[in-house]
Amino acid sequence: MPVTVPADFSDRVSPVLVKELRQGLRAKTFIALFLGLQIFLAVMLLSAGASSGSSQAGSTISGTIFLFFSIAVLLIQPLRGINALAGEVKDRTIEMMVLTRLTAWRIVFGKWIAIVGQSALLFATIIPYLILRYFFGGMNLFGELMFLLLLFLTSMALTAVTIGLSGSNSVIIRGLLPILGLPVGLWMMMMLTFARRMGGGGDLMEAVSLSTKESRIGVGVFVLAITYLGGSMLSLGASMIAPAAENHTLIRRLVALVLMIAALAAGLFGDYEEELQLLFVFVIAVPALVTAFVEYVPLVDIVRRPFHRLGPAGKVLGWFFYPCWPSGLLFGVAFTALSLLALAFHNDASSYHRWDEEEWTVILGMFGALMFPAVWQAFLFRGEDQRLGHYLLLLVGSFILLGILTALSDAMNSSSFLWGFAWHPLAYVAMLEEGDFSDSLLLTGVILCDVVIAGILLFRALAGLLSAERALDAAANPGSDS
Amino acid sequence: MSALKVHNLYRYFGPLKAVNGVDFEIPHGSVCGFVGANGAGKTTTMRILATLDYPTLGSAEVCGHDVVQQPAEVRRLIGWMPDHFGNYEHMTVLEYLDFYARALGYKGQERRQRVEEVMEFTDLVPLAERFSNKLSKGMTQRLGLGRALLHDPQVLIMDEPAAGLDPKARVELKHLIRVLAQEGKTIFISSHILSELGEMCDSLLFINNGRIVHHGDAESLKRGTDGVGGSLFDVQVDGDPQAVSDWCVLQPNVEFVEARKHGGRIRIPGDDPAAAADLLSRMVREGLRVIEFHREQRNLEDAFIDILGRIDAGLDPVAPPPLPPQIPAAAPPANQEPT
Repeated sequence: MPVTVPADFSDRVSPVLVKELRQGLRAKTFIALFLGLQIFLAVMLLSAGASSGSSQAGSTISGTIFLFFSIAVLLIQPLRGINALAGEVKDRTIEMMVLTRLTAWRIVFGKWIAIVGQSALLFATIIPYLILRYFFGGMNLFGELMFLLLLFLTSMALTAVTIGLSGSNSVIIRGLLPILGLPVGLWMMMMLTFARRMGGGGDLMEAVSLSTKESRIGVGVFVLAITYLGGSMLSLGASMIAPAAENHTLIRRLVALVLMIAALAAGLFGDYEEELQLLFVFVIAVPALVTAFVEYVPLVDIVRRPFHRLGPAGKVLGWFFYPCWPSGLLFGVAFTALSLLALAFHNDASSYHRWDEEEWTVILGMFGALMFPAVWQAFLFRGEDQRLGHYLLLLVGSFILLGILTALSDAMNSSSFLWGFAWHPLAYVAMLEEGDFSDSLLLTGVILCDVVIAGILLFRALAGLLSAERALDAAANPGSDS
Repeated sequence: MSALKVHNLYRYFGPLKAVNGVDFEIPHGSVCGFVGANGAGKTTTMRILATLDYPTLGSAEVCGHDVVQQPAEVRRLIGWMPDHFGNYEHMTVLEYLDFYARALGYKGQERRQRVEEVMEFTDLVPLAERFSNKLSKGMTQRLGLGRALLHDPQVLIMDEPAAGLDPKARVELKHLIRVLAQEGKTIFISSHILSELGEMCDSLLFINNGRIVHHGDAESLKRGTDGVGGSLFDVQVDGDPQAVSDWCVLQPNVEFVEARKHGGRIRIPGDDPAAAADLLSRMVREGLRVIEFHREQRNLEDAFIDILGRIDAGLDPVAPPPLPPQIPAAAPPANQEPT
């Protein structure tokens, strides 16, 4: 029986993309989503056509198209990535892929681009409906196209988040956090970027139409933020499936470092609002810190060798850029310090409002909250491959604790009992609400708390790095006593 | 240069010493069976050789390339077949092999040709359009073997390839392995079915608690010429079969191994035919109504159990035979104990 090999898509396309498209386009989820969207939009347009006398028909059609397109590309499509890597790990097919010429990055990227490609197909199919909608009048053509484009870019970033998180073997993380986190994160990101620019009676289409300087800055920041977030998460996913001998951490941390130094420089020499600087710093710092604190790959000799070739300076650099947990702690603490510098220097240079003690308490509380789960993990945690899930749960738990403490102190009209939680940086933020204590006292408290946390992490980092280096030296020189 | 060389290999998972100082070498073109109980360290050792895991201490080389320092070179040389693996949804057998051929860098006509060759070799042509996740276990193993052979590797590492296969599928797989061995490939294969390994392999590695306890060829081990195990006899009697075990209890140097329908299986030390004749003569003289007495060849299960028994008794398991060259296993120096 002759074998008929199917015609090539192209040998230039990534093999993973070919595989994922072959599988994805046959998946029931995609077929149902694609057909459902088409049927719904066609019916909706026909109904609107029948009642075309209404002056609101055009905006109603736009709103409905955007709503259902958003659900498709911001929720359903990204969620299809939740098992992308975990499924391969569970079935052990990832091992067979790793043994080919595919690198971890190419595998992750191929999976991401395949889902994005299918989202692009959905995007392309709604264009005819938008063209028809144009004839109903009242359309801000450029604004609506820009909005669609931003929705698509956001979908790309959210897909990167789910693909990145899919490397975690924690079912809770893969299942629960994206479902809860995606809408919340999206809302926060949109609000942070656009809310102030829209004003009280503003219009979202206007805010993204690039017609004003503020709109251009807002869109630019948003695109940069989601690009960086998406890149960081894809890199995290690649780290999770890569062999221990590959260092994906180096590039990820270098990019974060360059961006933070750029933010520091912009703060020093630029003249813009301090809230924008806060947004820059947090957008850069949060993915960098989270990915640094959840490293779990052990240090192997082949990774440290390039650093050691650079001499003593290289060895020190290696401590910040090895893809292992102790190095992540060291980098995380240093990066937190750099982030605070970027905020402090902007404060000094800017002609805008200066941070007051209350605001510094909140800022330090937030950075402390990012470091706090790592302290917990340093002492009370053994499941290394669950580190990401554990960290994120502790982080979410911290904010839930903040909410509960704030509500309790409100109900009791007193925040004195919160000193019992003074070991957690967010307790000081909760204490701010009631105003029972002076801002300078709370600022001093949160600084002390952060310093203790950072000190513990530094100690744990240095001990871990020294121990790992000693073990590798012993393995490399079996005859020596060192 | 050996095809596989493992030196002083350790792999610890926290307190668990999965591999605890393993040394061995396998020459080019040979077929080596890897034998051990569940959890003995077989899969961990094989995964390290396949660059899927890394040693805590020690080294492993494939055709002279270190698995940690030169993983890319090693991957080009090996074909890895795990004990079980999932297949993809919505993907046919042909597309499955086509994907891996692409991933291995084959392009255009060369890729098509390579996929065809592998499908013909593994008899997958009739299944080309079948979805890969709808195959039987035997078909899946053939598909796995096909995938492992796509880049024509010099060394095949197969972890329990026959596990869960029905007899027909096992025969087919064994045939494919024989053909590959005839083509000169080095094959390192683990299995629980020791009799099959004995038929296929030039040498056998026995591993227990993370240490190699024996490395030798199957025939010598079965005959007991390695100095362990002695000689085994099947004895059948007319009347109560219990009489055989009762008789053995009273005899020095005669061990009752297992009961059988009409008697049992017994063992005496050494390999001397005169001792066998003497044994039979004593039985008859002492009133056993022997109707069947024949020497049985030790099978590999016996040999394996013997070795484990000697280890449990604190004895040297067995002196390694000269084939192939063997580096004695070594415990790590105290100052190298990984943490």
